[in-house]
Amino acid sequence: MDKMILAKNALQKFIDELLKKNKVYAPIKNDETVLFEEIKKPSEMTLDYINSEYPPKALMLNQTETLFKYIPGTKGKIEPVNMDEDKIIFGIRPCDAKSFAILDHVFKSDFEDPYFLTKRKNTTLIGLSCIEPGVNCFCTSFDDSPASSKDLDILLTDIGDKYYVEVFTDKGRKLANTASKLFKPATESDAKKKKDAEKKAIDAIKRVQKTENIAEKLDKIFDNKYWKEVAAKCVGCGTCTYLCPTCHCFDIQDESTLTKGARIRVWDTCMNPEYTLHASGYNPRPARTNRVRNRVYHKYNYYPKNFDVIACVGCGRCIDLCPVNIDIIDVVTTAGEVKP
Amino acid sequence: MKENPYEPWLATVQEVRNEVGGQRPIKTFKLKFNDKKIQDNFTYVPGQCAMVSLLGMGECFFAISSSPTKKGFIEVSVMKLGKVTTALHELEPGDTVGVRGPYGNNFDVNGWKGKNLVFIGGGIGQAPLRSLIQYVVDKRKDYGKLDVIYGARTSKDISYKEEFADLEKRKDVNVHLSIDVKEDGWKKFVGFVPDNLLKVKPIPKNSIAITCGPPIMIKFVIQNLEKLGFTEDQIFTTLEMRMKCGIGKCGRCNIGNLYVCKDGPVFSYKQLKNIYGER
Amino acid sequence: MVDEKELRDLVKKTVKRDDVKYVVGYEKGTYGFQVTPCFAYKPEDADKFVFSPLCVHNLVVFPMLEEKPPLRKGEQPDSRKVGVVVKGCDSRAIIQIIQEKGLDRDKVVIIGIPCTGVIDPKKIKAKFPGQVKNVEIKDDNDKFAITINGKTHNIAKDELMPDKCLTCEYPTPVLYDILIGKEIKSNKKEDYKKVTSFEKKSLKEKWQYWEKQFEKCIRCYACRNSCPLCYCKECMVDQLDPQWVRRTVDVSENTAWNIMRAFHLAGRCIGCGQCERVCPMDLPLMELNKKIEKDIKELFEYTPGINAEEKPLLAMFKPDDPEDFIL
Repeated sequence: MDKMILAKNALQKFIDELLKKNKVYAPIKNDETVLFEEIKKPSEMTLDYINSEYPPKALMLNQTETLFKYIPGTKGKIEPVNMDEDKIIFGIRPCDAKSFAILDHVFKSDFEDPYFLTKRKNTTLIGLSCIEPGVNCFCTSFDDSPASSKDLDILLTDIGDKYYVEVFTDKGRKLANTASKLFKPATESDAKKKKDAEKKAIDAIKRVQKTENIAEKLDKIFDNKYWKEVAAKCVGCGTCTYLCPTCHCFDIQDESTLTKGARIRVWDTCMNPEYTLHASGYNPRPARTNRVRNRVYHKYNYYPKNFDVIACVGCGRCIDLCPVNIDIIDVVTTAGEVKP
Repeated sequence: MKENPYEPWLATVQEVRNEVGGQRPIKTFKLKFNDKKIQDNFTYVPGQCAMVSLLGMGECFFAISSSPTKKGFIEVSVMKLGKVTTALHELEPGDTVGVRGPYGNNFDVNGWKGKNLVFIGGGIGQAPLRSLIQYVVDKRKDYGKLDVIYGARTSKDISYKEEFADLEKRKDVNVHLSIDVKEDGWKKFVGFVPDNLLKVKPIPKNSIAITCGPPIMIKFVIQNLEKLGFTEDQIFTTLEMRMKCGIGKCGRCNIGNLYVCKDGPVFSYKQLKNIYGER
Repeated sequence: MVDEKELRDLVKKTVKRDDVKYVVGYEKGTYGFQVTPCFAYKPEDADKFVFSPLCVHNLVVFPMLEEKPPLRKGEQPDSRKVGVVVKGCDSRAIIQIIQEKGLDRDKVVIIGIPCTGVIDPKKIKAKFPGQVKNVEIKDDNDKFAITINGKTHNIAKDELMPDKCLTCEYPTPVLYDILIGKEIKSNKKEDYKKVTSFEKKSLKEKWQYWEKQFEKCIRCYACRNSCPLCYCKECMVDQLDPQWVRRTVDVSENTAWNIMRAFHLAGRCIGCGQCERVCPMDLPLMELNKKIEKDIKELFEYTPGINAEEKPLLAMFKPDDPEDFIL
């Protein structure tokens, strides 16, 4: 039974069922800010959001992650940490789920990253379709939709007084079966309502980013002075990188007291000049122009060259929150039109 | 391969050799893995690197400067420059460090069999080249003419002094040392390494040139190699970048779409010419 | 309302000067209520300049972000002036930086605009969500006239202005080379209402409030990078030897970062509110800065960013400075 209906007033009961045996992460409101955090009761959850500012990638690639513990010094020892942790993420938007699949490429290739991949294996994603996309959403520019099923285990779409529930994977089926008495089979008219809701959401997305052949076009304009104009406004803060669901750069530091410590991995930003600073003082990316250009190229040229996918999902967080309104939709669309 | 690529194996310092003193001292550390099984199974090819960490201080990416033909240990040469290298310079035999690797790509030791090899090194850049030189000397029959060109600022700054002395004694290797500034008692070439290269004039036919050193030296060496007739795919170099993970995940060491830790550090000049990116 | 044509002509004239590298001002943003910094390198670029109640950014951060790229042999560094468009509050940042000798007075050409109040982007987004097309906003005495899809809404200024405008004492730039329009005097007074009511809370309540806020901090450093007065070449958090604040992102380190930054701005913060505006996690950073500002006013009767000839507060002392906290 992969297409079902969940009555809106049964949603709380569904979450209760999930909470019985699992850790559940859902959107919550801290004042006006929406975050994905662990909930203990369904009432802690909010459904009044377009998307969280802080991306749910933090649940797969923690902002601070302990790699292992150690006893410091020249007579040291290493103690590995536990990585297994089953969890459910409820209310994730399709664009953020797609970002996990994009990040998979980096963390699987060559050396497998056990921290990220264990979390991916042990997490079930229950998505919630966007019926009212944000002003700066542009997932449709990548042939995606606000109600896309890619990379999700279960997808809920609000079709009025009930949710249209689609289950795509075995992981999702296992979870849905634990609450099977809350679901009813879906009818043809329910399926049509979902399609209508999806179309309405797609039509509501007004902004378009032109990404046709963008990797080849960018190859030709690497040394163009266009990047100097784009980067002139950038203050180099790092907001875009931390909020971006596909940015994955990190720093590794040893933090210890005299007797014990841990090697941790924390998010880092390529906007920081120290990011590529050599110990000799030489910096291959000394100016903001180099760093902003590197970021755009990483997402639209280097990642496609390595993994055949553009590393942007069109969530629009960077546009919403950039302090100086550097707008990736405009930057890339205009870059595609710059004459080499 | 390790289950967790971020977790190092423990190794003990066997020997510490002072190569160069002064403002930027260089020391060579001989390391042996604590676990014998790991030591026996740690296979690498010249050009590859390892992440050496001092627990509590941090990690650095070093070229393994000894050849895999020398069994039972690996050596890394460290120049004292920043926080972690300064702490590493305090190490003594018996101290424990963490080592993970081998990372990166390697010199094409199989594809270069039968060819003449020209090594051009400067300063601490000799470290990755030393691994390759030791390897081809140990397998001397497999390779053609060997020319080793190396230069340092003064005679005190020459690394691996004893090994160069041994190499000079050999009849099947040509060694060309140089220093930048005239010194009493120095009878060999005086001048920069790229100029010494022009004086040695290696023949490009059936040859491969490998260079490593400060970025400015690499730039002029490649220029001069092209003047001598070497083509883009006959010139190889090893690059360095600030690195943290060493396995192509943290994102910082990229030149264009290639990561120096994973797709490098060995690059052919042909590759470098064709990627966009700052280096 | 500022005469935009006058602004553009004056900017054109400034850019044409031989000794000016560029002028930074505001231009229309890419969607909705956005306005974005604009750099005029040539006189034609000045046609993009605008000034409307949406221009809330403090542009003084840009002259401070000037990078010095490595020069080729024989190349001289470009030491021409930078022109910057400022409102009243922004100009105080320039004065404070001049006081600290972070900038030479003759390195910057100040184009001053007397300000009648700007709009807080968060407040207007909450009132009119979902705007994709650019919106026209006009200043209408004590109201803002907002035209969306042909319909004009007249909203009282007090409803949409950020806190700093409600108590603004310096609407006209205190220091300027050129002034666009007439000087405006203000009868508003900074009364620190929010700070005083917060001071009355118990220590436990205060800590609970701030713990909840600092938990949200993601250490993106947008506050630091957008602040015109945070211009240290190496910030304390980037230092590794010694490491003052750990890279770990948790309540302990976040508290250290935010409070240390507020203290580094003690006697220097001029209250432009840029840090609070840019914070992606909505941390109420101005409450920290306002509290320190109030304490300094009470203890030392000093207001930052008013007199360029004065010495910076923490670089001088007066014999009658209060010392009742020392025994």
